[in-house]
Parts: sequence; structure tokens; C-alpha cells
Amino acid sequence: MFANWRKKSVEPAVSSDMLSKQRRYNSLVKALHADIFRYAYWLCGDKHVAEDITQETFLRAWRSLDSLKDDKAAKAWLITILRRENARRFERKQFDYSDVEQDTLEDNISNSSEEQTEQYLIRRQIGKLDIEYREPLLLQLIGGFSGDEIAELMELNRNTVMTRLFRARSQLKELLEKNDVRGQSNG
Amino acid sequence: MDELKFRRQAYEDPHNQDADFLAQINAKPENQALINELKNLDAKLTNALKVEVADDLADKLILRQQLQQHHKHRRQTGFLVAMAASVAFVVGISFSLLRLGPIDLAEHALAHVYHEGVALQVDQNVNFNQVNAQLASMKDFGNAKFTQQPGKVYYTSYCDFQGVKSLHLVLQGEQSKVTLFIVPLEKRMVLDKTFADGKYQGMGFETPDAFILLIGEDKADLSYVKDEIKNTFI
Repeated sequence: MFANWRKKSVEPAVSSDMLSKQRRYNSLVKALHADIFRYAYWLCGDKHVAEDITQETFLRAWRSLDSLKDDKAAKAWLITILRRENARRFERKQFDYSDVEQDTLEDNISNSSEEQTEQYLIRRQIGKLDIEYREPLLLQLIGGFSGDEIAELMELNRNTVMTRLFRARSQLKELLEKNDVRGQSNG
Repeated sequence: MDELKFRRQAYEDPHNQDADFLAQINAKPENQALINELKNLDAKLTNALKVEVADDLADKLILRQQLQQHHKHRRQTGFLVAMAASVAFVVGISFSLLRLGPIDLAEHALAHVYHEGVALQVDQNVNFNQVNAQLASMKDFGNAKFTQQPGKVYYTSYCDFQGVKSLHLVLQGEQSKVTLFIVPLEKRMVLDKTFADGKYQGMGFETPDAFILLIGEDKADLSYVKDEIKNTFI
């Protein structure tokens, strides 16, 4: 009788606990998978690698979902996991990824409007940007994080982050203007 | 705020909402132009960063997690089954080890006599050849047999001595009936020469092929049957 009573009261609690964890995970995936994937893509420059990293990131997130107390911090938490996952990739295999980035960027110039051509050029330029300048910019534009938050995520001080943001935008602006000029003179 | 600092801040974050910064934007038209230009750049960059995400990525992420959860569950059940199996294994081993412990034949013999009370009542009037046939059917006894009738045999049956097949006979003594057990030789058996409880006297001895146990109410009868057996059993 005692065993019966125990079973009845404990089992539903456990399964409802699992169920709410599952729901929480599902909404986390739905809300943030696009941002996480894009962030991974711009870190590594390859869609397949980005998908792998995203998978690993979310699996790790599932395993330690209980440690995420505040849902508002979910994005920063996932990005921290992702950055660690990405770093692990470099520990595993020592490839030179800097060349890969430009090669694997999507080429959708062949049948496209002017707007898409411009977007292609911008993507090329973002891809060419040094990773140390690119990453804070990604965090700012994809993640919507403030300078302080970026500093915390990247474990840098705020001034360094702001300098990098400044350089990232200056370089991009310059490169794109140069492209515009070249485009005009050619046309 | 000087010009240089303003430009720096504009490049760092054109969407900066600090009062100082906003005031500076409104102060000069070229500042306004710079901010617009940078905001425009940001819009383009943000658009460019939005690479296509596979439609099924979210589903894949959930699927992968659920598969892993399933595997984990399977692993846990596997572990429990393994534990149960090893416990059962240990229990099995210890039981068979317990059975290998020494067996006190005298105690078993007495218990057997009390248990099979009917053996002392019946009169089957068994011929010694029949007993020999039973002995021959049990491999453990080698060539042991009776050479002639050892007095009147009332009863014969196979019986079990702690897993060892043995022969149970009831013979006529001088006064009363005597129960006789013939048990194959085995190392783990322990045999006392004489034993007794409140009702019965017992006697044990060894032949080249078997243990012989005699149990009866009268000691004289036991000796009588013992001599009888020694003469007729080889």
C-alpha cells in the first residue's frame, strides 16, 4: 500500500518536471536557433560546420538546462556555450580556417538583382574582416548586446571591445565605399 | 564632447541613446549625416548577416535532443538489467557453493527414516536380485552387489541424500526391522561410526564402493545386520 501511494505521487511529479523541461527547451530552440546558427556561421564561415556547432550547443544546453535560472539571459548563455564549442573545434583539428571563410560564402550573384549583388559584396567584406573585429560586431548586430555585455561574453575589457567595434565599422565602411567607387567607374 | 570622441562613439554604436551623444548629433548637420550613413550601414550589415537558416533546423535540434534522451533512458535500463543479472548470478553461485559443504550422513539418515515412516510398515518381500538390479542402475556404485539374500528384505526404494541418488532398504534383524542406506562414496560426505537420537540407534561403515548406514531401534539388531551385510555385499 505504501509503495502504491509513493508511486502515484512521485511518478507524475517526475514526468511533469521532464515535460516542463522539454517545453522550455522547445521554446528556447524556436526562439533562438536562427540567431545561434547565424552567429556560428559568421564565426566559422561554413554552413555545415555552423549546423554542427549549433547542434552541439543546443545538446549541451539541454544537459545543463537546469543551470539556466533566468530566461532573459538565455541568449548570452547559449552564445557562451557556442563560443566554447567553437574553440573546442580548433583544439580538435588544427585547420587554417581563414582561407575557408571566403571560399565557402554563398555565391548568389549569378541570377540576382542589384540589391543581392550589394548584399553579396557586404557578406564578402564581413567575411574578410578579422575575427577579433568581426565577433564583437556580430554580438552587437545579431545578439543585440551592449558594449558591457559583449565585454563580459568575450572576457575583454569594455574599452577593447569599443575599439574593435570602431575599427570593424571603419574598415567595412571604407571597403564598401571603395567598392562603390570601383563599381561606378566600371559602369 | 569633442569631434573625435563623437566620431568614435558613432562608429562604436550609431544607435547610442546617451543624452550627450544625441545633443551632439543635433548640433551639426554633418554629424546628422554621419549618423544616418552609419545607421544605413548597420541596416545593410544586419541584413547581410541574416544568412538563410534551414527550415528544419529547429526540428532537427529537438529531434537530436530527444534521441539522446532516449539513448540515455535505454542506457539506464540496461544498467538496471545488468545489475539484476549480476545479483541473480551471485545468488546462484552462492547456493551451489553452499551445497558443496560437508554433509552429515547420520543426520540425514535419521531424518529420512522419520520422513518415510511408511517404509517400516510395508512388506514387499524383495529378492536380492532386484536390489542388485537397482544397484547396477546407479553408476556411482561401481560393481557393488549382493552375492546372496541378506535375510528378508521388506522394502527397497531409491532416495535422495542431498542430491546424491542412494538406495533405501528395510531388512529384518533378529528382533526388529533395520533400515539400511547405501550411499555412493563422495568426498563431501561425513560419516560417524555410531550415532543415535531418542528413538533410534545408528551405525555407519564404509565398503570399497559405498557408505553403508544402518538404523534400528535395537543395537543388537544393527550388529546382526551389519555382519549379514558384510558377508553378502561386495
